[in-house]
Amino acid sequence: MDVRSILVIEDNPDDQILTVRALKSASVDSPVIVLEDGEEALKFLFGDGDQPSRNVESLGAVLLDVKLPKVGGLEVLRHLRSSPLTQWLPVIMVTSSDEPADLLEAYRLGANSFITKPINYREFVEQMTLLARYWLKVNRVPNASAVRSF
Amino acid sequence: MIGRWRYWRLKTKLLFLTLFTSALGISLVCISLILVENQNYRKQLESELHVIGGILAEQSAAALLFTDREQLGSIISSLKRIGTIRQACIYTPGGAVLSALESQDRRPCPDIMQPLEAGFVGDAYQLRMPVTLDNETVGHLYLTSHLDVMRNHIRTFVLVTIAVGTIILLALVVLALRLQRIVSEPILTLSETAERIARDHDYTIRAPVSGTDELGRLGSTFNDMIGTIEQQNRRILESRDSLERIVDARTSELSMANRELEAFSYSVSHDLRQPLRAIEGFGQALEEDCGEQLNDAGKDYLRRIRAASVRMASLIDGLLVLSRVSRQPMENESIDLTNLLHEISDELMNIDDSVPTEVNIQEGIQVVGDSRMLRVAFQNLLENAWKYSARGEKRRVDVSAVETAGSITIEVRDNGVGFDMRYIDKLFVAFNRLHTPSEFGGTGIGLATVYRVVRRHHGDISASSEVGKGARFDVTLPVSRR
Repeated sequence: MDVRSILVIEDNPDDQILTVRALKSASVDSPVIVLEDGEEALKFLFGDGDQPSRNVESLGAVLLDVKLPKVGGLEVLRHLRSSPLTQWLPVIMVTSSDEPADLLEAYRLGANSFITKPINYREFVEQMTLLARYWLKVNRVPNASAVRSF
Repeated sequence: MIGRWRYWRLKTKLLFLTLFTSALGISLVCISLILVENQNYRKQLESELHVIGGILAEQSAAALLFTDREQLGSIISSLKRIGTIRQACIYTPGGAVLSALESQDRRPCPDIMQPLEAGFVGDAYQLRMPVTLDNETVGHLYLTSHLDVMRNHIRTFVLVTIAVGTIILLALVVLALRLQRIVSEPILTLSETAERIARDHDYTIRAPVSGTDELGRLGSTFNDMIGTIEQQNRRILESRDSLERIVDARTSELSMANRELEAFSYSVSHDLRQPLRAIEGFGQALEEDCGEQLNDAGKDYLRRIRAASVRMASLIDGLLVLSRVSRQPMENESIDLTNLLHEISDELMNIDDSVPTEVNIQEGIQVVGDSRMLRVAFQNLLENAWKYSARGEKRRVDVSAVETAGSITIEVRDNGVGFDMRYIDKLFVAFNRLHTPSEFGGTGIGLATVYRVVRRHHGDISASSEVGKGARFDVTLPVSRR
């Protein structure tokens, strides 16, 4: 069984640590890759061009913060959805605020899920458990090579 | 007639007036001419007949004296040549007819001894006269004359008069048609100009003015008036333009302020929560990973730090809701409030059913407004009812509605601890609380939010309570707003 990794794109170092810890607490054994901003994320996902890089093939899910420096989370989401290799990749938008406009825009652009980071850490762990169970165990996505031949 | 007269065109009125007065004048002239002519002709006929009678009496006097019938017959028959004579009779002094000119209808000569009507009788003129010779009556004379000739004459006269009158009238029509323009043309031009100005709102148009009579003065006064209107209109337009510029400027300032406020509350929601999450999260991590190294006091401090950050977060949330209900655009829809209240109370029941609870919500309450905002408002009111009645043995919440002309009042009552009416001024002000945190938790923003929502619906809210005997909130909303 291939172990797919989780990509966390989060600019705040505190939240990076807390998210990684919450995933561990949620018994997610997948490797976690942490990136700091949208630009870095695009470089990781697409290299320098428009084609997805090989990094994409090992990904199981993306936790994408809405508010990121340089290139915003919604922009990264748009890029991911515009390529056939990444359009099925589960993307969970994460935000601190509960602005309805962000939520609507995220779903319009094709986000799979949208969570507001709760103040209570235990609730956050709970959310991570549910998300990991759904996107990494129950609802497996066809791998990139299958999509390519399709 | 008078009613319809108002709708006639000025031209028609002038024409009608001219025709009516001239027709009246011409008719009067014709009628008086005819009357005079009639009178003259009668007099002429009368005197003619008297002259004939006189001559006849003179000629027949001698013959009468000698009762010479032959002579009388020739005298009488000479009358045949006078066409107007219908009948002529000559009598003896005793009244016997000596000679007669028979009429066409062969009427017998009337009895001369009887009193006889003289003058115009029926369709004839009758004349009787004694025949005298040396002041001695030697016989009588009777003459009647046709009036046919006179009638024909009058008829012809009438026809001629009418014909002449009609010709004059027609000539007058033609003349009036031309002359009425002198009066009606300037008025028509003026009225057309006024219409054009009213239709096109073009105040630069002026009416052509000719002459210095009343119409000319009317025209120049009209032009002066339009000039004044033009000036005032220009001034109004200028001030409207400047007002619009001011309004535009203010609007853009306001919308910029609004955008700033939006950005501000977005960043408040995002940036203020992040550190709180870190405090709470790392506090939890500290407790989980290093809990064993802390004594009980340390653990208590840690718990307090985390509780404070959660409280701070709910304060931020409350403020965000308050600012959102203040600036969000309003929807205007029909809302089944009963249904909404049931949803809220069911949620609350799920969260806290520690006390036996009885909820009574009146059926069929319908209001008009923004459903999201009203949900926030009634959520707050019911949450309060729940919270402040959590200490009793039984919780009771009643919601009922009374509709009056133009508005509906929704009454929310609980049997909770209530509040002191002395502090009612502070009730709807943000961050003012009537209970200490150790009594009842809360942010102090809830009722301020309710107040803001109700005011944005152009409604009103009032509260009444007695300590220990529950509280009552009356929300009044307009029934329909356009």
